[in-house]
Amino acid sequence: MKISLNWLKDYIKFNIPVEKLAHRLTMAGMEIEKIHSVDEDVVLELEITPNRSDCLNVIGIAREVSAVLNKTLIIPKVRKRRLPSAKADVAILDREGCLRYIGALIKNVSVGKAPDSMAKRLSAIGLRPINNIVDITNFCLMETGQPMHAFDYDKLIGGKIVVRRARQGEKIVTIDGVERVLDTSILVIADTKRPVAVAGVMGGQDTEVTEKTKNILLESACFDPVLVRRGARKLGLSTDSSYRFERGVNIQMVEGAAHRAIALIREFSQGETTHWTDLFLTKRKISKSEISIKIQQVNDLLGSQLTYSRCKTILKRLEFYVKGENRDTLHVQAPDFRGDIEREVDVIEEIGRVIGYDNLPMSLPQITVTHLNPRNNRQLKKEMRDILNAQGFNEIITYTLINSQSLEKTKQAALKRIRVKNPLTQDQEIMRPDLLPSFLDIALSNINRGQKNMRLYELGKKYLPEGEKEFLAMIVTGLKASDWRNFSKGKMDFFDIKGPASVLMERLRVKKASFEDAAESPIYEPGRAAVIKAGQTVLGDAGQIKKEILKKWDIKFEDIYFLQLSLTELAKERQLTAGFEPISEYPAITRDVSLAVKEDVSFAQIEKTAFQLGAKFLKEINFMEVYRGEKIPQGYKGLSFSLRYQSSRRTLTEEEIGEVHATICQSYIDQTRAIIR
Amino acid sequence: MGWDFNELRQKVQEEAKGIQDIQGLEAFRIKYLGRKGLIQGIYASLATLPKEEKPAVGKRANDLRSLITREMEERKKAVESSLQSKKRKGDIDVSLPGVGQEFGRSHILTQVIDEICGTFENLGFIVHESPEIETEFYNFTALNIPIDHPSRDAFDTFYLEQKDCQNPDRNVLLRSHTSPGQIRIMETAKPPLAVVVPGKVYRPDAVDASHSFMFHQIEGLLVDKDVKFSHLKGLLSEFCRRFFSEDIKMRFRPHFFPFTEPSAEVDISCYICGGKGCSVCGRKGWLEILGCGMVHPKVFEAVNYPKGKYTGLAFGMGVERVAMLKYGIHDIRIFYENDIRFLKQF
Repeated sequence: MKISLNWLKDYIKFNIPVEKLAHRLTMAGMEIEKIHSVDEDVVLELEITPNRSDCLNVIGIAREVSAVLNKTLIIPKVRKRRLPSAKADVAILDREGCLRYIGALIKNVSVGKAPDSMAKRLSAIGLRPINNIVDITNFCLMETGQPMHAFDYDKLIGGKIVVRRARQGEKIVTIDGVERVLDTSILVIADTKRPVAVAGVMGGQDTEVTEKTKNILLESACFDPVLVRRGARKLGLSTDSSYRFERGVNIQMVEGAAHRAIALIREFSQGETTHWTDLFLTKRKISKSEISIKIQQVNDLLGSQLTYSRCKTILKRLEFYVKGENRDTLHVQAPDFRGDIEREVDVIEEIGRVIGYDNLPMSLPQITVTHLNPRNNRQLKKEMRDILNAQGFNEIITYTLINSQSLEKTKQAALKRIRVKNPLTQDQEIMRPDLLPSFLDIALSNINRGQKNMRLYELGKKYLPEGEKEFLAMIVTGLKASDWRNFSKGKMDFFDIKGPASVLMERLRVKKASFEDAAESPIYEPGRAAVIKAGQTVLGDAGQIKKEILKKWDIKFEDIYFLQLSLTELAKERQLTAGFEPISEYPAITRDVSLAVKEDVSFAQIEKTAFQLGAKFLKEINFMEVYRGEKIPQGYKGLSFSLRYQSSRRTLTEEEIGEVHATICQSYIDQTRAIIR
Repeated sequence: MGWDFNELRQKVQEEAKGIQDIQGLEAFRIKYLGRKGLIQGIYASLATLPKEEKPAVGKRANDLRSLITREMEERKKAVESSLQSKKRKGDIDVSLPGVGQEFGRSHILTQVIDEICGTFENLGFIVHESPEIETEFYNFTALNIPIDHPSRDAFDTFYLEQKDCQNPDRNVLLRSHTSPGQIRIMETAKPPLAVVVPGKVYRPDAVDASHSFMFHQIEGLLVDKDVKFSHLKGLLSEFCRRFFSEDIKMRFRPHFFPFTEPSAEVDISCYICGGKGCSVCGRKGWLEILGCGMVHPKVFEAVNYPKGKYTGLAFGMGVERVAMLKYGIHDIRIFYENDIRFLKQF
């Protein structure tokens, strides 16, 4: 909101420089955003918080200045003239939308220019002077905060004002010249035939006051904040009037402001009020209840040492009614324009902010240990980031709202999804039930920018009908990290994503982690998909993303490997403390094995057999190589690995190891028809 | 057969001087100390000498052998050191890049969240997480946000099509701030409480350089028997000093939030202009970084805390905003583009 300094000085006298005033007001909660000079005036731009609709006018700000500088507020006196007994013809049909309506018929006005001083004040704050009648309504709005409107009475069909909802499809051309189509959610002021104003927002062109206007109907009313807000938003209109109604105008002020306008119209355009109607649909006088606060309470909450008289002075400057002279306790009643004051803390805030928070003491709290078991995976996530970062993976954070189309594109259309009712764009339609679309999106945008080698991860959520579930997802694509000493820039493959995930699970001490061949998957290439388990529990999956999916994402040349793990399951399968095992003092014996096995025999089977048979002495299996070629029969693959035998109690003899080793090798031949090479 | 030991000694010394490399050294050793070398020859012929000559010749032969050994050791040192100094030049180009495991980075927003939460953890707070899918009760009602408040409009909050299963009349929404975390904590635990809640929040704002429909906030809550406004000032000043810098200037400006009373916004002196006023701070010299206040009594009523027993302070800040200020980033969208060149900078 803009206000003119000269105008402000009509209600309060002070001598401090404007910068200092701006600082004091800002520190009392009336933030000054800008100060600029206009002709001989200075304009302040204020940001008024939504609870302070009483400050959306010059008198309201003057009252604040009066409290902050401890100076007297001078409010212009309006001499109430005797009201005519004749009624203006006003009907409120929508009783929720309009709580009070004053209509005053003023006859024989002479429309012309407004007085210079008024025009100057208005133009300083950016309101173009129009004619004396319109300018007076604007002047009163800015002075008191009460929006007002003047209709050309002779253009009101039937000479009547009706407050009602618009009919579906009804039209009005507002004074900005735009034709607006209305609906039943919008409150209007109408005559007997048509809407003549969007209530509380903007008047209509047909009934606006012009040079030719002779008689006017002045409106001073109180409309429902929510209806005005929704109407204004629907029409894409925000006016000085709607802004104030949205934040709530003081129903008690409606009449006083009307008198002020009538007095000014009488003075500057010679109009005479002949008819007057005041429809008041709620209780006329709502007296605010008294609030009692001990001075001790004020000081306890603020941590301050304020006196009774200091507090009282502040409150009185803010026009609070302070009763009695008990010096321990403040008995206060807030003025009727302060709808925001309901209880003790509200009054304490008034005292605190006028003094200025920067002038209140500062101290450090003694923080007692919180007895709350934080139910989250924060520590786990921290460890995971450290492990993944150390392996060259970069963390990403992606949007959790996605386009439902992207699920079709990842062949995940079957996933249940949570829909957003009011997305701004299609890209925010649903909460993602899976992380893959987000990853393909990021992979694509990086590839398009020429960055084709990626190792990325996210610790993010899937949003499922059963709740929000935390997951780790990883992606690798492009070339391996280069080592210039051995010039081999191979493409990354499945093992470049399995490896880091295995290291991760090992470091997290996941018990019995394994990768098993996955059955058919919608997202992974057949034969290139794994289920990740801990014992029998499924932790996640991994594999190469189907080429047909990548094609739909416009990823044409790259192979992409993806992996995901459930944090919930991972957290359950961890062994929290490392187990200690004494280091054997006795030498180990290592034996290499080269086998040719059928293609469908997995290394996991080979390992399992070895550990079953060599349980006592077999310490470790080290995989060396898988190869296919001339020396290997068709349908077979060559596997090389070494077995390391060791006892923690004694030195093993060549003979006993030879025996165990032979048993293991024999079982490969018997069980898997392997060929020992 | 007689040996002129003096001449031999001279010869050994001269020859030794001439040794240039490992090969020369080996030839020298074979010639004198080898199985068919000079010394072995002398020892072998000792047997043929008269008994009285044996000790003298034997002794001189031993001396000669020591000399040879000594000479060899010296020459060996010399040869090795000359070899080293030759190697030192041009053997490896130490300016070639080293080879190591490339280190990945946590996202800058994670780093900022960790830093902020860590600062509060050091001050005695614990970190708690709270759901993103919320009900109107937690996001608004319990926080004293009235039923017709503009922030409840579909213009300002994302609503979901699903309903609250316990209460089908209640709308389910994406939390528009982390403040519902306050309610969830107070519903499950009794004071003293000192908790920070980081997480994602959502608002239907059109995306531009300073708006995002998804962003991160950190909420803080301290509830105990005698929490004062002066504590709010002390605590947040301490935070700003630790997080931004020791000599940061701050101010507490009265503001309005429905769930705190009194409420304030905290500004820090602009890091670009140092308070003089520039385009970053909108010529104000100050940057708004967090909202805070004393927990509103109605919030305590909503979680059924006994009336008047506790007081509390609460604060909240936008992670992206803090990160943008701290690192001089001007466009919020860059956080979610996840361009590798951006990720690797932090």
